[in-house]
Amino acid sequence: MTSVPPQIPLKEEYGGDEINALVLDPGSHSIRAGFAGEDTPKSVVPTHYGVLSSGHHVYGENAIHIPNADMEIRNPYNTDGLVEDWDTAAKMWEYSITSRLTGARQTPPSRNGLNVVKDGEGDVEMETDETSKAKAETEKMEEEERDRALAEYPLLMTEPAWNPVKAREKTMEVAMEEWDVPAFFLAKTGQLAAYGNGKATALVVDVGHYNTSVTALWEGMVLRKSTTHSPLASSFLSDQIRRMFTTTTPPVPLTPYYLIASKIPVDAGHPASATYTNFSSPPSPSFRRFEEDRVLTAFKESVVSAWPGPGRLEANLEAVKLTPPRPFEMPDGWNNVFGAERYKVVEGLFDTKAAYPPPPSSTSSSSPSQSQYTPKSDDSIPSMIHRSVNACDVDARPALLGNIILTGAGSLIEKLPERLQSDVQAMFPNPRVRVIAAGGSVERKFGAWIGGSVLASLGTFHQMWISREEYAEFGAGLVERRCK
Amino acid sequence: MAQSGVSVAPECIQAFNDLKLGKSTKWIIYKLSDDYKEIVVEEKSTDGDYEKFREKLMHAKSKNKRGEEGIGGRYAVFDFEYEAPGGEGKRNKITFISWVPDEAPQYPRMMYSSSKEALKRALNGLASDVQANEPEDIEYDAILSKVAKGR
Repeated sequence: MTSVPPQIPLKEEYGGDEINALVLDPGSHSIRAGFAGEDTPKSVVPTHYGVLSSGHHVYGENAIHIPNADMEIRNPYNTDGLVEDWDTAAKMWEYSITSRLTGARQTPPSRNGLNVVKDGEGDVEMETDETSKAKAETEKMEEEERDRALAEYPLLMTEPAWNPVKAREKTMEVAMEEWDVPAFFLAKTGQLAAYGNGKATALVVDVGHYNTSVTALWEGMVLRKSTTHSPLASSFLSDQIRRMFTTTTPPVPLTPYYLIASKIPVDAGHPASATYTNFSSPPSPSFRRFEEDRVLTAFKESVVSAWPGPGRLEANLEAVKLTPPRPFEMPDGWNNVFGAERYKVVEGLFDTKAAYPPPPSSTSSSSPSQSQYTPKSDDSIPSMIHRSVNACDVDARPALLGNIILTGAGSLIEKLPERLQSDVQAMFPNPRVRVIAAGGSVERKFGAWIGGSVLASLGTFHQMWISREEYAEFGAGLVERRCK
Repeated sequence: MAQSGVSVAPECIQAFNDLKLGKSTKWIIYKLSDDYKEIVVEEKSTDGDYEKFREKLMHAKSKNKRGEEGIGGRYAVFDFEYEAPGGEGKRNKITFISWVPDEAPQYPRMMYSSSKEALKRALNGLASDVQANEPEDIEYDAILSKVAKGR
């Protein structure tokens, strides 16, 4: 490594705000990483990854969207929003830091292009046993170098409030033993999001990818028994849109971009007139689903809206008819307008009875692997809030209801804050209910990261870190005592 | 618990004890020092006029990391005096207010919310605690309704 490593701050400098700490906020949809003290995370990496048939994993936005017949798309998180595949998760976390943050590494001489022995064609040389062996070796070297990069900075990580003890200890072990970080801290996402909004007492509603969670905070402490979470989140919403597409007549064709070679404009509602890309061996269904999700994200951003209330959608169908429908064009050129449907797909989050039911299991031909999940009425966001608030002390309830913080990228659905406000107020008529949702999408997408960034950059936070020495002495159990 | 780790200057506790025991001080406003390392006393007064006190909070300024001044947060202790309902006479409640306006920039907001616990823990004998984020949260009636509800 030729670049000068950043200076490790001296002891007396800790009092100032000069600690170069890293902040890592891993989620089930994306992993946010960056340096403490910065306004936004520099590195945002998708949590989905590709597995090639060789068993090799590929990470990062650039690699996983390439149509590749022998690539499966997977996710190391389970539907509870907790890490299931630790080896992969740890590698991806590491990737999110080393790929962008710790500086460009020098390409080893064997692969920097200057020492390539040109064969006749001047082309890239074919892989022989020897080169692959050399490659494996350089890869190992590179990995060691990456590890060293991580060993330079204290690391603050985030976790969901329902993270079990085992997972917390495992996280610290990964950081301390695999990455060799000099100091570590684990903070709860809800707590950081609340601090970022200037509150120590709050009810944090975090709409994520696999999970929506409700966490009550009292004077900075997470009230454990109040923590609830359910799968009514962004991924559920994608499934709702899929179900809506298949149940309208005629069904809406959902074709991801990679299948389209070219398209010709067509009138609204008419079949698409596009040339499709032909694959001799088509990419896997998991890839298709993943790419479909990207189209659905665009759909969510531009068309979907929550019914702002008051009242449920079914009681307001007449009013809905008066709102102008929104147009949407699919990658293949098919386009149409969506009226009541654009509200109906979100309604399930608030009123589970209004959710689109799962398709009959026999007809899974049109779109691959639709989830069979049917929400229970307990899972809706208002009823989670109800349970969470009721699990808290009576005296605490007004303060919590007056400080409901809405965060998470899934909360960016249009009018979602308004609807939440109206539903919760209807549920708790007496104290004043106030839903606070930061106006900027950045603040809501990265709420927890931003909170962590400020905290970890403080000189005064120094005393909170768990140092490597302490870890060596007390072991992973320390995380339970120190990171409450 | 994740906290900022900011320290509390001894003068904070002394000023609080003067208020608690001497009862001549009516309110104290605390702030985070400009380098965000400790909590210090900004102002204290024997004038019990709540509106003057509120004005001070409304015009509080804090510096961000680059030294630019913007809307800021504060902590305050106010010795509330009110008529107990049902003619039970006057009551006094020493009330802690954390004032973190929603319009304040990210950095001071974060700092004030994550340092609050340190100060609260240092002050013994608080009767009630108000978390205020909007101008209407620190209106006299809003505070009174919260204070009077406590035991």
